[in-house]
Amino acid sequence: MKYLGIDPQKIKIGVFNFTCCEGCALALANKEETLVDFLDLLDVVTFREISSDRGEDYDIALVEGSISRDDEIERIKKIRAQAKVLVALGTCACYGGVNNLKNQFKIEEVVEIAYGKDKVETSKVRPLSDVVKVDLEIPGCPVSKAEVEKIVVDIVNQSEINFPEYPVCVECRRNMNTCVFDLGMICLGPITQAGCDAVCPNGGVGCLGCRGPAEDANYESFREILEENGFTMQEALERINFYNALPGMVIDES
Amino acid sequence: MIYKVITKKEFKKFVNGLINSNETFGPRQVNTAKDGKPIYQFKEVHSFDEMELDYTLSYSSLKNFFLPFREVLSRYNFTDDNWEQEIEYRVNPRVIVGVRACDINALCKLDDIFVNGSFPSPYYIARRNNTFLIGMDHLPMDDCFCMSMGELVVRQGFNLFCTDLGDRYYLSINSSKAFNFLRNVKTTDPTDKDDRQWLERRNLIKRSFNTTVDTSSLPNLLDIEFDSPIWEKWGDKCLNCGTCAMVCPTCYCYGIEESIDVSLKSSRRERFQHSCTVVDFAEVAGGHNFRPSKEARLKYRYYHHYHGFAENADEQICVGCNRCGRNCLAGINPKDVIDDLLMEKTDEV
Amino acid sequence: MKYKLPKEDINLKPFMSKPPRYNWKDVIMRTDKTYKCEIINIIELTPMEKLFHLKILDPVERDIFSFRPGQFLMLEVPGFGEVPISISSSSNNKEYIALCIRKAGRVTDILHKAKKGAKVGIRGPFGTSFPMEEMIGHNILLIAGGLGLAPLRAPLYWISEHRDEYEDVSLLYGTKDPPSMLFTYEYAEWEKVNHIDLLTIVDQGDDGWTGRTGLITELFKEMTIDPDNTFAIVCGPPIMFKFVCNYLDSIRLPMNRMFVSLERRMHCGMGKCCRCMVGSTFTCVDGPVFDYWSVMNLKEAI
Ligand SMILES: Cc1cc2nc3c(=O)[nH]c(=O)nc-3n(C[C@H](O)[C@H](O)[C@H](O)COP(=O)(O)OP(=O)(O)OC[C@H]3O[C@@H](n4cnc5c(N)ncnc54)[C@H](O)[C@@H]3O)c2cc1C
Ligand code: SF4
Ligand code: SF4
Ligand code: SF4
Ligand code: SF4
Ligand code: SF4
Ligand code: FES
Repeated sequence: MKYLGIDPQKIKIGVFNFTCCEGCALALANKEETLVDFLDLLDVVTFREISSDRGEDYDIALVEGSISRDDEIERIKKIRAQAKVLVALGTCACYGGVNNLKNQFKIEEVVEIAYGKDKVETSKVRPLSDVVKVDLEIPGCPVSKAEVEKIVVDIVNQSEINFPEYPVCVECRRNMNTCVFDLGMICLGPITQAGCDAVCPNGGVGCLGCRGPAEDANYESFREILEENGFTMQEALERINFYNALPGMVIDES
Repeated sequence: MIYKVITKKEFKKFVNGLINSNETFGPRQVNTAKDGKPIYQFKEVHSFDEMELDYTLSYSSLKNFFLPFREVLSRYNFTDDNWEQEIEYRVNPRVIVGVRACDINALCKLDDIFVNGSFPSPYYIARRNNTFLIGMDHLPMDDCFCMSMGELVVRQGFNLFCTDLGDRYYLSINSSKAFNFLRNVKTTDPTDKDDRQWLERRNLIKRSFNTTVDTSSLPNLLDIEFDSPIWEKWGDKCLNCGTCAMVCPTCYCYGIEESIDVSLKSSRRERFQHSCTVVDFAEVAGGHNFRPSKEARLKYRYYHHYHGFAENADEQICVGCNRCGRNCLAGINPKDVIDDLLMEKTDEV
Repeated sequence: MKYKLPKEDINLKPFMSKPPRYNWKDVIMRTDKTYKCEIINIIELTPMEKLFHLKILDPVERDIFSFRPGQFLMLEVPGFGEVPISISSSSNNKEYIALCIRKAGRVTDILHKAKKGAKVGIRGPFGTSFPMEEMIGHNILLIAGGLGLAPLRAPLYWISEHRDEYEDVSLLYGTKDPPSMLFTYEYAEWEKVNHIDLLTIVDQGDDGWTGRTGLITELFKEMTIDPDNTFAIVCGPPIMFKFVCNYLDSIRLPMNRMFVSLERRMHCGMGKCCRCMVGSTFTCVDGPVFDYWSVMNLKEAI
């Protein structure tokens, strides 16, 4: 900030998509009230959703999507080499995300179901951090624009970035929601990191854990709670596998 | 205190008068739980009939009206190389109808901290002084234990309190505002019969409690049993989800977050309700956590509630509404935890 | 209207136009109003620690602000956050307030990037202080580890300004290595002008180091302490003051004459946020300075 004698610096960003729905990049372009101010902080070098310019001199690469093909590995490595800071944007980039559904089947089956008989080269779905060094992970499916704004403002001001460590329940209860367990549904809120303002429970549906694990999440107790509430582990796993962002919940039954 | 009696019909007229002239909140059903029980919250109401005054207890407490879960404390407006701080206190008057005894007593505990404690909070005072509270008695739920905490009877902290006598209310009038408003409707002085019925009603309420929790020795016992294994037992279950503190009418601790607006022209200094059961509560720069275990964190919540803090006149701050116990997914509740603690002690002797 | 509630506009009350006095604990004031300060000087002590001189800009507020050695203030960097910092200058210094700040997180990091002329806010002073008057006529042992020297500068100034009122004064200072030593440029003055016995020690020496190496408790071997006539003030990491206080206790220095300064997370300084609780007390109101007897009686203090 100017009052500290520090000049805010526009950040040169490139936005890149890998295997995903491109919803996170789209989320960046919403929240109209502040969009003009938001774009003012950025010097967008590459961003397919809002401009057709293609440049190579970005400092910060915002990368959405997971890695699922060999050519993607090459591409992400190139981006890594150029970017001073590589940000994994969204659950797909951070954890593999929805694409993980694919991992539950045999690769050949997936290829056949998705693409029919034409062979397409595809491999196991991986988060970016499996392939390159990631400097900052912003989880969420899609990412919360409010959170991205905050982070961008912090970067522009050269400030450290803080994430909440506590679970979604804290935000959910601050919003005075009725706990969806009381309504007879499963919610992964107690073991999932907050920061989304509990959007799913706000809407009356259980959290799917898209933001990954909360600090010191108590999986063991949560398993018991699921059981006491009459849910099977299978039902819970179906939810967890949706994003696969809560590896700690999945125990090896053997 | 002045006592009057009012018929329910007149009372309705009275409350509708308030509703028409002021922002008013009352208990309303917001959901139905899976066991078929209604879930209530205090919501804005526009007529008497929208309220469900026979409600049990609101799901979350009333504290958010005085200590909002999130609140902008001040704003900074940036000019070229300077800033100005902007502070404003909320003042819109409002009425809350149907407040239970435990919730009124909880507010009195908060008053001790935010009005009578060191550094009175203008944010709290502005809200408290502009809120007109109408209390109402009720038959306890199975797990209520406010009687054990001595919080069944209200003495102060409200404007008007109604004791249900069937077709009429026995009114305890605790403010001149309430007294003046009541001149607009017909009230009578209590007769001998009213007084008797009032006492019967009080006795009925007292007899209806099914849960007792003995907390009398806890201020010492919590020190003595600070290293008791029961904390590990319950701590292992705790999700550190903060739910207990969020729904509790007397949990008041908070965190501050500051954020710069996207325009870079201003920033907000915000207060968020927090909880000592949450992982980062006592964490400091560099990652050191003064309460690193679930057990230590959960224990602290009990310590604060049943030991009391110096700032709070060393008074226990729990009022026995059992919202924390009812809402804890892990089944951690004051009755069981305290019984365990007492048992521990008895076993050892 | 018959049922209209009157508005009680607290924004119109007299206190709104007055600067808050944080030394008056029980009156209503704008508890979040900061005194605006300009950073008039920045001295880099080590790569991790800088000394900031803050001048309160408003003359009325400058006049109101007075503190005792050992107290702290809440330093606000608008938009980034607020942190508790001990005051590291003389309570007689009406020109500026010195704060010695280590780069440790979001707020302190941005402060380290700030330039001279920057404007920040302060609230305070808060908390308890060292018993400067009670110590008159006694020997004083000041024991600091690392950054713990920062809060000890205030009592050091006080002692220097009233040197004849105190008997022998010693300062024992230990750091992990020679480059981490703070305020080295002041040592000569403390020793020669203020007659303070200064003993330093480092955990690990380096090539140029000719002084002592070892734990701070080693220094006790070089001195005799008169337990009947001595006060001790200990500041530093918890592990250090535990060892130091245990030693002092073993030579029978009464616990109520040993003082320590505790550190906890803080978000208000006013006994409201509960983040700083130790046992059933608040570090910000009943501390940060506690005598060792109180510390021993607080749950979770060490
Ligand atoms: C009474 C007292 C005196 C202190 N004196 C000094 C001093 O003279 N010099 C100095 O360098 N440091 C001092 N500290 C420690 C200093 O407050 C922390 O280093 C600082 O709060 C870190 O904030 P941050 O935003 O940079 O770190 P982050 O980790 O980003 O902290 C975020 C928030 O957590 C809180 N917090 C984090 N760590 C601490 C902590 N150790 N103590 C209290 N709150 C914390 C603050 O509210 C802060 O805003 C003192 C602490 C206390 C309690
Ligand atoms: S709905 Fe989910 S997030 Fe909300 S309180 Fe219940 S478990 Fe927690
Ligand atoms: S509530 Fe859960 S699933 Fe929904 S956005 Fe938040 S973290 Fe993701
Ligand atoms: S006690 Fe229950 S409600 Fe409270 S934090 Fe632990 S699990 Fe959550
Ligand atoms: S018990 Fe814990 S959560 Fe409740 S007010 Fe105290 S510190 Fe906060
Ligand atoms: S601790 Fe539990 S029972 Fe006591 S007041 Fe809070 S929510 Fe109610
Ligand atoms: S700092 Fe908030 S209670 Fe001590």
